Amino acid sequence: MTLFWSMMILASILFALITGKSELLSNTIVSVGSETLDFVLPLIAVTCFFNGIVEIAFQNGCIAWLERRMNPLLRFLLPDIKHDQETLGYVASNIVINMFGLGSAATPVGLKAIKGMQKHNPDPKTATRSMVTFLVLNTGGVTLFPTSIIALRVAYASKDATSFIPFAIIATFSASLIGLLVDRWWNHGH
Amino acid sequence: MVTNLILPLFIFLILTVSLIKKVDSYNAFLKGVKEGFLLFNDVFGSMLSMMFAINLLRISGLLDFIAHIFASSILKIEPSLWAMMLFRPFSGTASLAIMIDIFKYLGVDSFSGIMASIIQGSTDTTLYVITLYFGCVGVKKIKNSMVIGLISDIVGISMAILLTFLFFS
Repeated sequence: MTLFWSMMILASILFALITGKSELLSNTIVSVGSETLDFVLPLIAVTCFFNGIVEIAFQNGCIAWLERRMNPLLRFLLPDIKHDQETLGYVASNIVINMFGLGSAATPVGLKAIKGMQKHNPDPKTATRSMVTFLVLNTGGVTLFPTSIIALRVAYASKDATSFIPFAIIATFSASLIGLLVDRWWNHGH
Repeated sequence: MVTNLILPLFIFLILTVSLIKKVDSYNAFLKGVKEGFLLFNDVFGSMLSMMFAINLLRISGLLDFIAHIFASSILKIEPSLWAMMLFRPFSGTASLAIMIDIFKYLGVDSFSGIMASIIQGSTDTTLYVITLYFGCVGVKKIKNSMVIGLISDIVGISMAILLTFLFFS
């Protein structure tokens, strides 16, 4: 990350010096702090709101209900951990929280899930089938409420902040579906 | 639009279930909000570092320079959208920073603004997820998970572009 970040900055400064745009650079360097705060605050505010709603859904059992609905599907997708209810539960929570677009809240349970899978791993240095499938599902990231994008669209005064959602759902769903199919075909044989 | 009904109905449903099950939803909400605010420390740091790098990339003209190489192809979309797609699998904050840039300079409800929103929502940051999760349990041989993750990113992003062209142009 350090290398990636430093290279972006160094290359930009170098490029600006060569093309003679260096006077614009100082303005950006000075103003980027407050500019970032301007959109991080609304972003955090909306995330807080949905975090509150999800906490209600968690306490009243809605999340647990969703997780139970997912159980048969998960047993099919992750056959080598189908007897480990606890780990399957973590996988389900991770997917459900991801659906609300709360990626940072989903990560802790996701990490518990992969630790649970590691317990059944005969070779701890090599990924198991379930791990690959779980991560494919996770990187496809099926999101039903893309919270942060909605927040930013509202912050930039969109007249229709939510109309993109159905299309984002179709795109994210196809990504996950194709990912899972490729994984089945490639790793689980015919 | 149906989408305008999703959120209100969703909240209606959750609060009704809470009332039936006698769950203290008011305090649950407050607890969730408080936990959400703790994210500020992490989010502000990573957003600031990425906004800084992306702003310099744009101001220096380097972003346009790189993106133009791609923009000369058949697809008629803005150079910054190409940049966003290139960054999407590697850094969620970087692509988010470019999306904000697009909102600011091309308009949040413009064709590019909508395409950027759908692309951002179409997939998750593959490289980050895989490094974090496998790193956490010390797995070194990750098999073909990276390749499959990137294939699904390409599918998600292509769908995003296709849908925007079909429904918003």
